[in-house]
Amino acid sequence: MLNYNSPLVKENSYSELSMKVINPIMKLIIRGKKREFLSGVGKAINMILPTESCTSSTSNDTTALWLSPDEWMILSNNVIDKNTNSYEQENHLINNISKINLGAVVDVTDQYVLINIEGKKIFDLLSTGCPFNFNDFRNKKGGVIQSLMAKIDIIVHHKEINNVNLLVRRSFSEHLYSFLSDAASRI
Amino acid sequence: MAKNLRTKGSKFIDETTRVCFKFNGNKYFGFKGDTLASALLANNIHLVGRSFKYHRPRGIMTAGSEEPNAIVQINDNTAFTEPNVRATEIEIYEGLEATSQNCWPSVNFDIGGINNFLSPILPAGFYYKTFMWPASFWLKYEYFIRRSAGLGKSPKFPDPDIYEHKYIHCDVLVVGGGISGIMAAKISAKRGLKTLLVDENPNIGGSTIFQNSKYYKINNLTSSSWLENEIKEINKLENLTIKTRTSIAAFHGYNFLLARENLTDHLSANEKKNKVRQRLLKIRAKKVITATGSLERPLVFNNNDRPGIMLSSALKKYADFFGVACGEQNVLFTNNDTAYETAISLDQKGIKVNAIIDIRENSNSELSKEVEAIGIKIYRSSTVVDTYGYKRIKKISVMQLSTDGQSVKGQKIFINCDCLGIAGGWTPAVHLFTQSGGKLDFNEEDQIFLPKIYPSKQISIGSCNGDFELDKIINNTLKILKEFLEIDETEYDNIDVSGTRNLNKRNIWLLPSDKILGKTKPFVDYQNDATAKDIKLALREGFRSIEHVKRYTTTGMGTDQGKLGNMHALGIIADTAGVKMSELGTTTFRPPYTPLSFGTIVGRNVGEFFDIFRKTPMNDWHVKNKSKFENVGQWKRAWYYPNGNESMHEAVQRESKAARESAGILDASTLGKIDIQGTDASEFLNRLYTNSWTKLDIGKCRYGLMLNEDGMVYDDGVTTRLDKNHFIMTTTTGGAANVLAKLEDYLQTEWPELDVYLTSVTDHYATISVCGPNSKKIVSKVIPNLDLSEDNLPHMSFKNTTIDNIKCRVMRISFTGEQSYEINIQANYGISLWEKIMESGKEFNITPYGTETMHLLRAEKGFIIVGQDTDATLTPIDLQMDWIVGKKKYDFIGKRSLYRSDTIRDDRKQLVGLLTDDPKEVLEEGAQIVANLNKKPIEMLGHVTSSYYSPNLNKSIALAVVRGGKNMLGQKLFIPMENKSIIVTIVDPVFLDKENNRLNA
Repeated sequence: MLNYNSPLVKENSYSELSMKVINPIMKLIIRGKKREFLSGVGKAINMILPTESCTSSTSNDTTALWLSPDEWMILSNNVIDKNTNSYEQENHLINNISKINLGAVVDVTDQYVLINIEGKKIFDLLSTGCPFNFNDFRNKKGGVIQSLMAKIDIIVHHKEINNVNLLVRRSFSEHLYSFLSDAASRI
Repeated sequence: MAKNLRTKGSKFIDETTRVCFKFNGNKYFGFKGDTLASALLANNIHLVGRSFKYHRPRGIMTAGSEEPNAIVQINDNTAFTEPNVRATEIEIYEGLEATSQNCWPSVNFDIGGINNFLSPILPAGFYYKTFMWPASFWLKYEYFIRRSAGLGKSPKFPDPDIYEHKYIHCDVLVVGGGISGIMAAKISAKRGLKTLLVDENPNIGGSTIFQNSKYYKINNLTSSSWLENEIKEINKLENLTIKTRTSIAAFHGYNFLLARENLTDHLSANEKKNKVRQRLLKIRAKKVITATGSLERPLVFNNNDRPGIMLSSALKKYADFFGVACGEQNVLFTNNDTAYETAISLDQKGIKVNAIIDIRENSNSELSKEVEAIGIKIYRSSTVVDTYGYKRIKKISVMQLSTDGQSVKGQKIFINCDCLGIAGGWTPAVHLFTQSGGKLDFNEEDQIFLPKIYPSKQISIGSCNGDFELDKIINNTLKILKEFLEIDETEYDNIDVSGTRNLNKRNIWLLPSDKILGKTKPFVDYQNDATAKDIKLALREGFRSIEHVKRYTTTGMGTDQGKLGNMHALGIIADTAGVKMSELGTTTFRPPYTPLSFGTIVGRNVGEFFDIFRKTPMNDWHVKNKSKFENVGQWKRAWYYPNGNESMHEAVQRESKAARESAGILDASTLGKIDIQGTDASEFLNRLYTNSWTKLDIGKCRYGLMLNEDGMVYDDGVTTRLDKNHFIMTTTTGGAANVLAKLEDYLQTEWPELDVYLTSVTDHYATISVCGPNSKKIVSKVIPNLDLSEDNLPHMSFKNTTIDNIKCRVMRISFTGEQSYEINIQANYGISLWEKIMESGKEFNITPYGTETMHLLRAEKGFIIVGQDTDATLTPIDLQMDWIVGKKKYDFIGKRSLYRSDTIRDDRKQLVGLLTDDPKEVLEEGAQIVANLNKKPIEMLGHVTSSYYSPNLNKSIALAVVRGGKNMLGQKLFIPMENKSIIVTIVDPVFLDKENNRLNA
């Protein structure tokens, strides 16, 4: 039996701030431009993809993040089974999208590590290394942006007020988590 | 000397908290809220340091960040030491130790003071003229020049403090918390704009906050009381953030500003423990309001630098704000009315003013009348011609000015004093404005430079915009802000302001003395000891541009950047050369406005955060098994795995033998992986790579070479056809991010018609490469359900499979020349699979090998590494890889460039193999290759790109690029080293198994 090894097993709490790595979460990148692509995705995973830039949409078990005009990330809302890397939604999407040449479906479950940050000081923490202007972002839930944190590419999803999901590429995750916890310790 | 010059009753100083500090080893006391300067002055200490060149005794001149003289070393000989700290800025705290700089053995007796007496032979340009000859002596000169260079001492220990960076975005940034800055911040924040107000001082309020005078009233309150109420109000505003002790260091284009927020420099060692010392704020503001105020000008006259000579405004601030008398016998020397305000302030505090020397003929302002009524003697139309006293001013001599102000006449009068306040008018602080790219305009009436053309959404208000009178400041500020913030009315529209000051001033840049200029020392730049006569000398020697004069005389080049004296330098040049100041322009104002510590610039990018590191999924295994690591780009890659005390050479020899003789295992997860999907995917690959992709069967892999538009090799790797419209491309480790960006760029800008989508999956997969004669046996144990027969999985093919229910891909590709299996599995199962393979391979002595062995194994096969054997000057033809260029292809990136006359030359540098005559001699990578050792200058034909000792071939092998090397097979060449020349023979770059028999063995 192959064992599942999380790149980071981390959970830290600070005053008005806590950080936790959550896994396994299914993550897919889907790309396409055609109208049939959008309707095909809707049918396959039973949700409408957000088409407004830097937004997201959520259903019971899935969240879709807008990444670029023809690119979305699909996330499972709950953790998945560690003993398989075959996902029902991925198969639905492959059959309804890539198999019929409407677009691309790529599994990136382990490409990204999801760090959930909670608390009132989230944006104080991010401002220590992220040049993005969060002034409007912080007041509106559902926003999605891609920027840099400590020179590392990140995706920030404003899940709820005072609750943010931060996605970072696996190989960078240890460095980023270390930078974040260092900064958080002084906030 | 031990006197207490504290006057009672300053509300800005906490006289209930006594603070003990040391200056030059002696213990003194001050109060919480004191700067080092105010505390020293309260202890009657003026002598603080020595000047740079002449080592003249110098004291405190100002009460702000423009201070040129009173710069000290803080906490010397500790890890916390800092040189060139302005005593006028640093706040005292319990345990502070400050020492004078640029003096030895002490500030009171300084050997270097001899320079003062040698000054006639040390004019501007002395170094340039003197140390030019004889040229061979330069190294000796340099030794002494270096020793005398600089002021403070650099820290010797690592800085233990913590510094941070912070990004801030605001609608409006207000720089400067004086009266106009406070008004601007309030107006802006009350309109719902996210506003940030910064001020370099510990408190806001500027100079108005201690302007408790009946002459300046706002809504029937003294201006200070009115402002206090305003400050209380703005402190409650939600949209406003106020940051004190925060100095804007740089104002860059598009309203991007850098500021240093000083958080703990005013705290004692205990209080500052574990706190961030300074923060570099990176501010993006939609609009910037500059309210940086103005700096008082000194006057330039003979010996105007003695300790005890201070700016008149500083005297006033020390009295009104800090409650400190700078002297007991004060004299003021002025060209305008502000000195009269100082006189009245001092008188109200019970501080004696002996006289005012005014270079104007008369002043009939209210202020002047009050001063006369107090009984202070005013010497009108007079100038100070000399000052006396070595370590503290003792007296001055005064004479009448001629009508044109260029000479003196009449009787010389001597006046005793222990402090001389000088007031030469005001210079708007336009530094930040010009840093941002703003253009200045010269105002002839006030002899000042003012902002004219704004390069971004910014505006200047208050005295930095040339408004010096209270009513003018307030009225103009409101007018400007309404337009700038696009508002119709403000809460100040019905404000009632009264303020009066005679605006009449007389500007003489260089005041005359009874002595000839050559015998005087009228300092223009105090810190660098540049005098008016140095500037005149520079002009006489032919320097005309202000930038040249600055560099020749070092005027304005100290840590204070000449904030006090630059205008005088300009004025003297203009007067002497007979040009207008407006035509002369100014020197360039460069960031930072005040010095920044390296720590602030660096922030948290130290220690573990110095550089980003990336780790592979199997990293923990490598660490546990004592691998040595190599940085490859940002990746930490396993380099080699020494057994016990093995050296790298020994480990690599063992690892590479194992890989060829039985089995080796390599972590190849760092290779870039790009998922390519779409109906035009194969056409896309056709255009990218030099070879053809249309006919690649599903399930097959192919090696590709990617060129730049210039035809030079850019990247390489194996791409696999997973399905009709689905490929996975591998790139080099270092090239991954750039290749993806380049491909995405082509898709978006050049070939938008192609139906192709790219997604990076580099981090999604762990890649494990198992190679060697026993690799098949091991892989079949790990994946028993996969048919590994040559028919099912031949070389350069792939299969989807599962290991314990986990999907993965197995590819038969080889970078070693051995039979190899590359398994790609989701990253989080990588380490488990690696362990499983290690376990299964135990019976075959499977040996983990690192990047060093990988390099050796591929070099034996003559496989290139892009970036090691290539350097963006080599075409595929140069690499002897003609076979990979699809001659029949319609086009691919770089094709056209391959047929330029330069790229088809025969004598280009070409990749070849090298063998040394002595098989044990291993060449150095980078070593130059020559054909003729005797020819001068020696002609270099090329260099060694890769070199190893091959245990499999029992000889040293190397790859090299050699001019015309392709046609030189068998030819002997030389590699000249420091002590010997090595003879090499050019050979084919494939050293091992040219027939590729081992791939299928």
